[in-house]
Formats: sequence, structure tokens, C-alpha cells
Amino acid sequence: MSRKILWSVVALIYAFMLAPILITAAVSFNAVERSYFPPRGFSLHWWSMAMTPQWTGPFLFSLKLAALSAVATAVLGLPLALALRWPSFRGRGTLQALTLGPLVLPSLVTGIALLQFLTLAGVGNWIGLPALVIGHVVICLPFMVRTLSISLDSIPINAEIAAASLGASRLRVLIEVTLPLARSGGGAGMIFAFISSFDDVNLALFVARPGQTPLTVQIMQFLEYGFSPTLAALSIISLLVPLALVALFGRLVGIGNFIYQDHGHA
Amino acid sequence: MPEAALELRGLTKHFGASVTVGPIDLIVRQGEFVTLLGPSGCGKTTTLNMIGGFVTPDAGGIHLAGSPVETLPPWRRDLGIVFQDYALFPHRTVAENIGFGLRMRRVGRAEIARRVYEAMQLVRLDGLGDRRPGQLSGGQRQRVALARALVIRPSLLLLDEPLSNLDLKLREEMRIEISTLQRRLGIAALFVTHDQEEALTMSDRIAVMRGGRIEQLGSAREIYEAPASAFVAGFIGSTNLIRGSVIAPRQPGGTVRVDTGAGPAMIPIVGDLPDGGAVLLMIRPERLKLASPGAAPEGTNAWSAQVVRTIYLGGRMEVRLRLRDGGTAIAYAVNEGETDWDEGEMVDAWFRPRDAWVIPGPAEDSDAQATNCLR
Ligand SMILES: Nc1ncnc2c1ncn2[C@@H]1O[C@H](COP(=O)(O)OP(=O)(O)OP(=O)(O)O)[C@@H](O)[C@H]1O
Ligand SMILES: [Mg+2]
Repeated sequence: MSRKILWSVVALIYAFMLAPILITAAVSFNAVERSYFPPRGFSLHWWSMAMTPQWTGPFLFSLKLAALSAVATAVLGLPLALALRWPSFRGRGTLQALTLGPLVLPSLVTGIALLQFLTLAGVGNWIGLPALVIGHVVICLPFMVRTLSISLDSIPINAEIAAASLGASRLRVLIEVTLPLARSGGGAGMIFAFISSFDDVNLALFVARPGQTPLTVQIMQFLEYGFSPTLAALSIISLLVPLALVALFGRLVGIGNFIYQDHGHA
Repeated sequence: MPEAALELRGLTKHFGASVTVGPIDLIVRQGEFVTLLGPSGCGKTTTLNMIGGFVTPDAGGIHLAGSPVETLPPWRRDLGIVFQDYALFPHRTVAENIGFGLRMRRVGRAEIARRVYEAMQLVRLDGLGDRRPGQLSGGQRQRVALARALVIRPSLLLLDEPLSNLDLKLREEMRIEISTLQRRLGIAALFVTHDQEEALTMSDRIAVMRGGRIEQLGSAREIYEAPASAFVAGFIGSTNLIRGSVIAPRQPGGTVRVDTGAGPAMIPIVGDLPDGGAVLLMIRPERLKLASPGAAPEGTNAWSAQVVRTIYLGGRMEVRLRLRDGGTAIAYAVNEGETDWDEGEMVDAWFRPRDAWVIPGPAEDSDAQATNCLR
């Protein structure tokens, strides 16, 4: 009985989450230039419109941006997380505040600040891809540091000491024990960075430039002329492609057990 | 004579102003099994960590097989360490865990495979090489940890409470297994525990630690039968400690007379005992015998006492006694199915002179907590 109720609730929640997506998908097959639901007629016209360079350019740019941001976040987050773990590290509190701070800052504010900073610093030509990557790294770093720290904390207390006693130098311990065990946290952080970079519009609005515009900004600009079923098709593409990439990456890194990982404690 | 496997000279570590571990002097001979035994916080792990190179000592020297290692990093000390939490690498298989030290030493693949196989046979883990630590039981994990430490043929094996995460039955099994293995391989071992039974059953010698120092170092028998202090006497086994004073240090026949509130006792001379000096008389409960009043054998020390309680323990009876001055004592009587002591009954509690041991000096307050039965 209570099982039935549980399942109904779960089904309802899923319906609530999936319905808009399904509606959007349906709308993209309209045969007329209006976003009717249920769709009138059936055509792939809007899908072929979504495949034109006007859209594929920003779409590929967004993928590139997201991938770069994810990698850069990991590269910067790892030393930070390792430093935060060092018990006798003096600037620990400060560093923690600095890395976790941007979490509470609206990305809109970060965007404006970044734009002003780059202009004032005389590197206005960074606006575009470099600025976007910098901005997204700032936004995603706190999350990366957290997930990495969780992974690092779950390493058996003496595993690294044991490795050292067995003849591994500090570098070897890092490569053989610490990093492999931080993998799932790093993977989770990278997926988060990838998705939030791909989804971001608030920050990108300020630091994108023509030719280096992510899909989200392109859509925003297009919306000024009204909605079209092309956008519905685009939405579905930009939902499925990153999802597939993330799923693939997750499989490779073993992200699935990030939360449930049993590190072999007693 | 070969070099000692381990020699510690004045090894000291300060933690802040109040906590000091050391100075510790200790020699572990080749092939010897030495145990550091002591209560929580007495500095056992710190000592091991200094030997392993994970804690830098403030003073003193460490020699492994004759050469100083204080300045060597942990990975160049050539030690096998077994930890309480096993400290296995969760992302590696059992075979990879065991082979790790060999791989770090750049041993060839075939050789690693061969030695890992041997080590797995040694600790009875055959066939589990492809499992991950998470798929093993506690006892199996501890065997992997042991194999991983042994396979590199270290000059010294360090074990920090390796059995305390296991349940009682397994613990007893592993005790025997570890010491058999250690003996067979002839590897010197320094073993840390706060479990007296573990220490007694496994060790060639025991170092009883207290407050960061070694209070006594000796064989299990010496520690148990001739403790150097009330703390050692109380830490190992149950004991009766009775306050007394030396009345006549030099009696004919090589005995001294000690007077206590429960009665006088003649005991063999041990070392120098000052006339009139305060001492503690130690009598282990199994050496304190009971007899009907007046029936104690000739030539023994007999004190009149009243039975307060008897506790049936199967193979033996624990008899709680009230002595003449109101203090209590415990005697273990072997359960031979004959005598039963009734509560309230008057008896003679007797012991042979050589069954008592004299500990110089009065009891300190802190000793009182450590001893089971102190008056
Ligand atoms: N890093 C440290 N900083 C400050 N004090 C420490 C540190 N490590 C150990 N101590 C102190 O040194 C003393 C000895 O600690 P140690 O861990 O060696 O005890 P132990 O004998 O191993 O105890 P246990 O049986 O509980 O494991 C304790 O008082 C402990 O609080
Ligand atoms: Mg300890």
C-alpha cells in the first residue's frame, strides 16, 4: 500500500519534470511557423533550421567552452583541494573562504566584475573565449574543491602513509594513491563545471563577443525577434548532446559511485 | 654478534609544553618480537611513527640494522608496517596491494608475480588475488596488510594494534598466525597493543609504557611476576597490592620481613630494601591460597581473613576476602569440586615466601587507578 503511494509520488515528480521537455520536443515537429501544442502537422523543417551554421557555430563553441572550463577547473581545483587537506597549512581558513566565496555571488555580478576588471587591466581582447573560461572557472571552482575534498577525505587515513612506508616517494604516493582515489570527486566536479558552463547565460552575456558566442547567448539574442520552433529543436539538441557526453564521461571516470563509494573501510 | 634490528637511543618527541613522549631507549634484536604495551595515549603510536619516519623526533637516535635512519624519509627506511585500519589501497586488487612495495622497488614483473603468489600462500589468501579490499572480511584484509608488509622482506616489521578491529575469535587466531609467521621468517617485529593478553602470548619481550616512557622492559614472565612498579603490576593481570614496611632487611636464610596491616610476611630478598622503607607487597590472586583456620602449610605466610564473596567462574572460583585491617584481597581457587568457601567464613589466606613480590616505594595516587585491588 505505502509502496503504491511512494511510486505514485515518484511518478508524479517525474511527470512534472519531464512534461515540459516532452512538450518542447513535440513543438519542434510543427509544420507551421507557430509553436502549437499539440503540433499541427509533422515536419523536420525546424530541425534542419537548427542545423544551420547560425546555430551549429554557437553550439560547438559552447561545447568547446564547457570542456575547457571543466578541465581548467579541475587543474586549478586539485592543488587547492590538496592544500586544504594539509593539516599544518597556515592560510587554510583564508583559502577556504576565498575558494568557497564565489558560491554565494550571483554569476551576473561575477560577469560584470570580470568585464570591468579585464577592461581596466588592459586586456580587453581577452573578452570572448578566454574571459568566458575564466568566469566559468571562478563559478565552478568552489564546487570542484568540495567534491574533490569529499573524495580525498574518504581515503583511508593510513593508506598514504602505508604507500610511503612501502617505498613510494611523495610524488609516487600522489600518483599511485591520492589521485586515483580523488578521481570520482574530480569527475563529479568536472561534470558540474561542464554543465554549468554550457548552461550559463548570466555571465556570458557580458563577456561574449561576436564569433565567440555561446549557444545560450545566441538564443537570448534570437528571442528578441520572437519564439520559433527552431528554438524548440535547439533546446532538445542542447539537452541531449551534453547529456550523452556527460554520461559517457561518467562511465569512463566511474562517477556513478561518487556518493556511495565504499573505500574498503571496515 | 649481529647488529640489533632496531636501536632507539633517547628518542624524544614533545607535543606542546605538557605532552612528551620519551626519552625512549630500546633494542630489538634480530628475529625478536618486542611489544610496546600501555594505556591509551602513552605514546606507542608516536614511537612507531618516529621509527617509520612520519613524526620527526626532537631528540635521540634511531638505528635500523646498525645504520642511523633519522634523516632518511619514510620511503627509504625499508620497514614493513601493518596498521590498525589495514590501510589497504581500495582501488587496487589484493595482488596489486601486496605487490605495491615490490613495484616501488622496481622488481621485475615475473618476480613480483612469483613473490606475491608466495606471500598470498603464506597468509592463506590463495585465490583471492583479483578481489578488491572492499570485498574481503576483516581478517582477510588484515592478512593482505600483513602480506603487503612482509613481501618486501623488511628489516623490521612494525605493527600498530593490528588486531583491535577484529572480533575476539579472529583476534586469537590472528595472534597465533602472526607470531608463527614472524618466527618462521625470522623478521624482527615491534608490536603495539594495549591488550595485555596479546602482549603476553605473542612477545619475546614486553616494554610496558606509561606517560611517554618505558616503565619496564622484560619477558612476559618478568613483567608478570617481577613488576618494577605498581603501575606495571596493575596493568598486567589482576593483582593484590598491599602496603607494608620493611622491618628487618637481613634475616637469616636470605629473607626479609615485611609488616602489613593484614599481618607479617617473610619473603626472599630482592635488591636493596631500606630498613623501615615503605613497600608494596604484590601477591597474584592465583598464588594466594585458602585453608581452614590454622591449616596453612608450614613455612608459609598465613593471614587470617574472612570470605566476603565467592564468584563462580567455571574453571576457578574468585574469592573476595576481607583482611585483618579491613582491606580486601582476591584469591583464585582452582575449581576441583571439593572445597567451597562460604561467605562470612573465616579462613587462612596463605602464600609461599617466593609467591610474593616486593615493589619499592609507597603507592602513588595515579597508581591506585591502575591497580585492581590496592589498599
Ligand atoms: N600530532 C599531535 N599533536 C599533539 N599531540 C599529539 C599528537 N600526536 C600525539 N599526541 C599526543 O601524544 C600522546 C601520545 O599519543 P599516541 O598516539 O602516541 O598514543 P598511543 O599510545 O598510541 O595511544 P592509543 O593506544 O590510544 O593509540 C597523547 O597524549 C597524544 O594526545
Ligand atoms: Mg595508537
